[in-house]
Amino acid sequence: MANETKARARSGGSEQRPGRRYNTRYVRKPRYCQFCSDKTLVIDYKNTTLLRKFTTEEGKIRPRRQSGTCAKHQRTVAREIKRARHIALLPFTGGTWEEKIR
Amino acid sequence: MHNYELVVIIHPDLDDEAIEQALDRIRGWIIESGGSIDKTDKWGKRRMSYEIQKQNEGIYYLLEVSMPPTSIAELERNMTILEPVMRHMVVAK
Repeated sequence: MANETKARARSGGSEQRPGRRYNTRYVRKPRYCQFCSDKTLVIDYKNTTLLRKFTTEEGKIRPRRQSGTCAKHQRTVAREIKRARHIALLPFTGGTWEEKIR
Repeated sequence: MHNYELVVIIHPDLDDEAIEQALDRIRGWIIESGGSIDKTDKWGKRRMSYEIQKQNEGIYYLLEVSMPPTSIAELERNMTILEPVMRHMVVAK
């Protein structure tokens, strides 16, 4: 990786090389799943304050790349959000938008 | 026998007597099928995230129930017919 950055610096960085596999400028933050690190945290449809962190402002379920949860826990989060939506604890859509209208 | 959680949203304009009547009917169906009610939790009147039957509020009840899985379908069918219940959900624990 270090070699490639040097090579890029030498070439000036202005020319676009086709077929380059990854962007060396971008360093990924270490990800962790908060449910894996804290086993006592139970994902439940009744706990709306927790579930709200995993939805966007419009009420969509946040993707894994934003929320940082592992695949297993993302599935349970998604399931519990859908349950909470069914009994109107969470909005299907337009949470904040609707508040503004009223 | 399995454990289930049953969430019921009841129409907000009903008085206590009518609510109790509706809950008693639900309890009756559960006991009839050979189940039992372990806990009844009243969440009270809550604002809902979206309108259900043109209502912005609903009275929430959470029942913790143990009953045979074969009679869940019948219970759900009965609850959709029961008028004061605006929305219900059965979740296996």
